[in-house]
Amino acid sequence: MKAIVLAGGRGASMAPFSSTRPNPMLPVCGSYVIDYTLGMLKAAGVNLANMVVGSHADVIKSHLSHGHPSGMAIHIINQGKQAMIGKAILKAKSRFSPGEHFVLVYADTLTTSNIFSVALQSFGLHNDPVASICHTGSAEKYGAVYLGQDMKITKIIEKPKKKAGLGNYVLSGVFVLPERFFGYLEKARGDMEQALKNLIDKETLRASIWENDWLDMAYPWDILTANRMIMDQWKTAEIHHSVELSETIIKGPVRICQGAEVRAGSVLEGPAFIGPGAFIGHNVLIRPYTCVGANSVIGVGAELKNCALFPGVNVGRLSFIGDSVVGESVDIGAGTMTINRTIDSKPVKVKVGGKIVDTGLEKIGAFIGDKAVIGASNTLAAGVKIDPGVMIPHNCSVHHRC
Amino acid sequence: MCGIAGIVALEDISARLVQSIRNLEYRGYDSCGIAMLNGSGKIKISKNIGSVEEVCEKENFGRLKGSVGIAHTRWATHGGVTKSNAHPHMSCDNGFSIAHNGIISNHEKLRTRLKNAGHRFRSTTDTEVIVHLVEDWHRKVKSVEKAFVAAMRELDGTYAVILVTGHEPDRIYCARNESPLLIGLGDYVNYIGSDLNAFIDHTKNAVFMEDKEYAIVTHDSCILKRISDGETMSRQVQELMWDSEMAQKGGFPHYMLKEIYEQPQVVHNALDIDPELVEGFARMALEKKTLHITGVGTTFYVSQIGQYYFSRYAGVTPMVISSDEFRFLAQVDKDTAIIAVSQSGETYDTLNALRYGKSHHATTGAIVNVMGSSMARMVDQMILQGSGPEICVISTKAALSQMIILARIAMAAGVMNGRITAKQARGYEAQLRELPAAIENVLNEKSGFIHTIAQQQSHIKHWLFLGRGRYYPVARESALKMKEVSYVHAEGMPSGFLKHGTIALIDENLNSVVFAPPEEEKELYKLTLSSAEEIRARDGYVLGLTFKQKKKEKLPFTEQIVLPKTPPFTAPFLQMVVAQLLSYFTATTLKRNIDRPRSLAKSVTVA
Repeated sequence: MKAIVLAGGRGASMAPFSSTRPNPMLPVCGSYVIDYTLGMLKAAGVNLANMVVGSHADVIKSHLSHGHPSGMAIHIINQGKQAMIGKAILKAKSRFSPGEHFVLVYADTLTTSNIFSVALQSFGLHNDPVASICHTGSAEKYGAVYLGQDMKITKIIEKPKKKAGLGNYVLSGVFVLPERFFGYLEKARGDMEQALKNLIDKETLRASIWENDWLDMAYPWDILTANRMIMDQWKTAEIHHSVELSETIIKGPVRICQGAEVRAGSVLEGPAFIGPGAFIGHNVLIRPYTCVGANSVIGVGAELKNCALFPGVNVGRLSFIGDSVVGESVDIGAGTMTINRTIDSKPVKVKVGGKIVDTGLEKIGAFIGDKAVIGASNTLAAGVKIDPGVMIPHNCSVHHRC
Repeated sequence: MCGIAGIVALEDISARLVQSIRNLEYRGYDSCGIAMLNGSGKIKISKNIGSVEEVCEKENFGRLKGSVGIAHTRWATHGGVTKSNAHPHMSCDNGFSIAHNGIISNHEKLRTRLKNAGHRFRSTTDTEVIVHLVEDWHRKVKSVEKAFVAAMRELDGTYAVILVTGHEPDRIYCARNESPLLIGLGDYVNYIGSDLNAFIDHTKNAVFMEDKEYAIVTHDSCILKRISDGETMSRQVQELMWDSEMAQKGGFPHYMLKEIYEQPQVVHNALDIDPELVEGFARMALEKKTLHITGVGTTFYVSQIGQYYFSRYAGVTPMVISSDEFRFLAQVDKDTAIIAVSQSGETYDTLNALRYGKSHHATTGAIVNVMGSSMARMVDQMILQGSGPEICVISTKAALSQMIILARIAMAAGVMNGRITAKQARGYEAQLRELPAAIENVLNEKSGFIHTIAQQQSHIKHWLFLGRGRYYPVARESALKMKEVSYVHAEGMPSGFLKHGTIALIDENLNSVVFAPPEEEKELYKLTLSSAEEIRARDGYVLGLTFKQKKKEKLPFTEQIVLPKTPPFTAPFLQMVVAQLLSYFTATTLKRNIDRPRSLAKSVTVA
C-alpha cells in the first residue's frame, strides 16, 4: 500500500518555529516528527510515501534527499502555493490507479504507538474506507464524529461550535481511502469536509478508534508535550560508549548520544535527552523532560527544566531555561532567566497570530526562534515569543508577547 | 448473530471445517452443526445443541469426511434452542442443505406456501424455508443456479446463505444481503465465512461480497454475480491485514466499548420482547404473597433497581436478597414467587437460590441472556433478553437490558393491580422507546467530556457513587463497574447515608459521583443536591451527572456531565451509560486489562 503524507501546511500557530520549517520538521528527542510518522507507516506495511510539500518545502526535501532510514520509498509532490487540504491531496491523484486504496496522513500529528496499523486493520475487516478517530481535550479544532454501533460514521461536524460536537470523538488525521475518493474531492472542488460528507452519504466510512496518546502539533508548547510523550516510553538509561562522563549523577532514563560530553558535578535527572556531540559544562542541573539538541553547549552552572533545545544551541553560564523551547542555533548569553509562571500562578497566556490563547498550563517559559541572539543577563517573561534572528542586547527584560 | 463457514477443496476438510466454526464461536454458541458432501454426492448432516466443543464430542464431527462442506454456529433468534432448529437444514429430498445468518422477515408467508405445496418442515426456524424454496424452484427450473437465484429473489430480510447440493457436488453457492459474508482464496481450496476468522489460518487473500450478490465457489474458481440480473461482477482480491481479535470486536478496541455501543439496539430488543411473557411474570409477581428478585454482583443491583420500579409503579415492594445469601435469609413457601436474573443462566449462587426456592415449592421465573442454559431449563417461566453474546467479562449491555425488562414487568403489574392506568403505561413505554436514541446521543456527544474527566481524575484511588431512590442502585452498579474494570476502590451508597458516617472520609483524595435526578423529581432532586453540598463544603471533588434544566442555576458540583432533558422513568438508565464510560476510560487511562480484568470470570459457576 502507498500513502499520501500532507506536509505542506503553513502551521502559522507554531510561530516562531514555523517561520523556518514546516511542522513535520520539528525536532523531538533527536528525530523529527516526520521520522516517527514514516517509521510507523513503514512498520504498518506502507512502502511508498507520496509527500505533498509546500511551506518550507526545501527543509523536508533536504532531510529526505538520501531517502529515509526506515527504508520507506519517498516521492515528493509540490503542492504549489497554499491551497485547501483537498486540493493538496488531489495533487497526488496521478500516483494511484483505480481500485487502489491509500493511507492519508496529516503529518503534523504525533503518536507513540502505531496508529496506522490499527487503521489498516480496521480497513481489513470490511474493506470500507476508514477514518481514525480519537478523543482530545480541544474538540473545537477538529471534525466531530457521530458513530453507529457497527463503527459506521453517520455524521461529521467540521470544527464544532458550542452547541454540539465538543464531546465527540474527533478525526485524528489518518484515513484509509479508495482511489475513487479523488472523484469525491474533485466534485467538491477540493473541499475535504464536503468530500467526506458525500462519501458518508454514498457509501460507508468506518471509524477506527485510537485510544493511545495523540498530539496535534499546533502550538509551540506542544513541542514540550511531544518530548514528554516520547520520553515517557523510556524505561532505562542509555549512554553511548563514546560519551565522556566524569563525576556525574544520573537518575532515571537519561539518553546520552554519541560524542556528547558531560563535565564533573552535573546532575542529570531523567527522563532526559542529550543529543550527539552536545557539551554539558560543570555543575549543570538537567531536570526531567529536558531535551538538549545535537551539538548544543550548556555553560557552567546552568539549570534546564522541561525544555526543548533544538540543535546547535548555546546556553551561557548560570542561566535558567524552564518550560521553554529554544530554536536551532540560538545563542543565549550568560545569566539569562526564563520566567516560567505568572505571579498569581494562573495559567499562562500566549499571543498566537494576534489572538491571546490560554495554554491551560501553569508553567510556560519562552519560545525563541532559530538563530536569535539573547544578550547576557536577560529576563524573559512567561509566554514570550522571540522571532528568528532577533538580537536582544544585554541586560534587558522582555515582557511583551511578540 | 450467527457464524457460517464453508470449504470447497479436493481433499478431506472435516478438521478445517470444525475449526472454522470454532473460530466463529464468539458470534454465537448455543448450537452448531455441519453438512458434508460425501464422495457419492450424498449430504450428511450432524448437529446438536451446545458449544462447538461439546457438539463435536457428542456428535463426533470427525466421522463426516468429505471435500465440500458447510458449517454453522448459532445464536437463536427465531425458534428455540433444539437439535432440529440447529443449522444446517435439509430439503425434503435431502438434495440441498443450507446454513444461514440473518432474519427472513417473510418466512411465515413462504412457509405456508411451501407447506401447501407439500414440503415437510422439521424445524421452527426462518432458515428452513430457504432450503425448501430452493428445492421447490429446482423442481421447476432444473438448474441449481437458477433455482438458487429465484429463491434469493423471493426473500425479504437480511441473510448470508450458503448451500451445498448433491446435484452439483463440486461447489458451494452463497449469497448475501446485509449480513456479512466473504470468500477466502487458497491453493486449490476456497473458503467462505461470516468473517475472516473462518479461514484466516489458511489464507489471507479474500474477496468481499456486496449486498444482493451471490457467488458460485469451487476449489479453483469463484464467480460473483448480481442477484437481480445475473450480471457477473468483477472484484479485486484483497490481501487481508488483520488481527483476529480485532475482527471479533468488530473494529472496536475492546469488547466492553463494543457492548456499550450496542446498548441502543439491546434496549430495542428488550422492548420487543413479547408482552405476554412480560405479563406472565407480572401475574406471577402479583399472585403470590411474597415476591423475591434475586441476582448476585451486577444482577443484584439490577434486582434492586427492579425493586424500586416495582415499588413506585406497581405499589409492591419485592424482597431483594443477593443470591449468595438467599438461603440464609429468605423465607420461602408455596406462596412465594422468585424472579432470578442472570446473564449466563449458569451463575452458581443464583442457581442455588432457585434450587432452594423450588425445594420449598416456590414458583420461579428467570431473566437470562443465554438460551438453553441451566437456569432457563429449570424455571417455570423464562424471559430471554436477546442482548446477543456478551463477551467482556464485565456486564454492560446485558445489565441494562435486564433493568428495562424488570421495569416493563413492574409496569405490567402496575396496570394489573390498578396502580397505574394503561394509558400511563403506554406513556412510559413510549419514553422507553426514546431511550435508544438518547443513549446514542450520549455516546456520541458526551464521550469526549467523560474521557477528559476520567483522564484528569485517573490518579484518584477512592470514589463514592451516590444516589437516592432509583438512582441509588444505579450508583451501586456504577461503583461495581469502576472496581471491576479499573481496579480502583469505589463504593456506592444512598446519598442520605453519607452523613451517617462515610462523610468522615471526604478529603482531596476521595472523589464523588452524584447521580442527580431530573429537576421534576423535586424532593429527590433537592435531597441529592444537598449531599453534594455537604461534600463540597469539605473540599471534596464532586462530579455531577445531571440533566438539562429549564432555568440554569448554579449547582454544587466541581464538574458536571449535563445530559439532555430526559423523563424520570428512563433517567437512571441514561446515567448508567455515562458511568460505564467513566469506568471504561479510567481503565484505558490506567492501561487495565479491559475485557478480562484480573481475578474475574464471565460466569461464576462455583461457590
